[in-house]
Amino acid sequence: MAALKESDLRLFVDSVSRYFDVTSRIAPEITSAFLGVGTLPGHDFNGIVSFSGRFIGHVIVSLPAAALKELLLIQRETDLSRANLLDAVGEIANTLAGNARKALGKDLEISVPTVVHGRSGSETRTRKHPYVITFRWNTYPGMVCVDLAEVG
Amino acid sequence: MSAMKLLVVDDSNIVRSRIARVVQSGALGEVTLIGLARNGEEALRAARQAAPDVVTMDLTMPEMDGLACIPAMLTLHPKTRILVISALDDKSTAIRALRLGAHGFLPKPFSDDSLRLALAGLLDHQR
Repeated sequence: MAALKESDLRLFVDSVSRYFDVTSRIAPEITSAFLGVGTLPGHDFNGIVSFSGRFIGHVIVSLPAAALKELLLIQRETDLSRANLLDAVGEIANTLAGNARKALGKDLEISVPTVVHGRSGSETRTRKHPYVITFRWNTYPGMVCVDLAEVG
Repeated sequence: MSAMKLLVVDDSNIVRSRIARVVQSGALGEVTLIGLARNGEEALRAARQAAPDVVTMDLTMPEMDGLACIPAMLTLHPKTRILVISALDDKSTAIRALRLGAHGFLPKPFSDDSLRLALAGLLDHQR
């Protein structure tokens, strides 16, 4: 299985930036991008989208509750329940994964998002060392784990 | 002039609520929300109760996805206009949705302004 190219990874970095910029008008600052080793710097709310077809694996978006509450408030959402925070992080994962298909190819199948409350949600692994992108949005930390491998 | 009837279809509660808020802000004229559906099957059930003038349709959804729902919706109500709102923003997906009968495509993530603009075009056509 081949690893992602640098340009593929760049796609996810751009997608994270665009998501927050468009939905909140506050661009995130990308703070690091690295090959994950050991425990990932995840947070309590995790949205996971699985890929199949030309690539297998998944993309995890991980954010703390405070960031998701702020994002919903900016969108004038007043229901800040746990269910809605999970829905929000799942929707971010769904959007990043969907946008990625433009560059990774139409043969890519993308699952509906699953959501996990708890730090264990960021520990699902396909590759031993997945790509990790950390960012800061509106003072809050966030993480995207791109754990994809090209088949064949 | 009677109010336009809108049906919102998306598996995300926050997206459904957000679209509802934009529609109910009044900027699009008189629009009645006739339903908030979580997948294609719920959308078709709602559309059997009342014919929507415009539908916003997500693509990636459990049970029945948007690409399966579009032709079924148009078989039920051929005059309904469908705005696809999806993160699957590659050209081939957009073309496929339009060939199935969708009338517009708004990629996610979207701003309230771009949603308003996309919906205004479809609603004006129906008035």
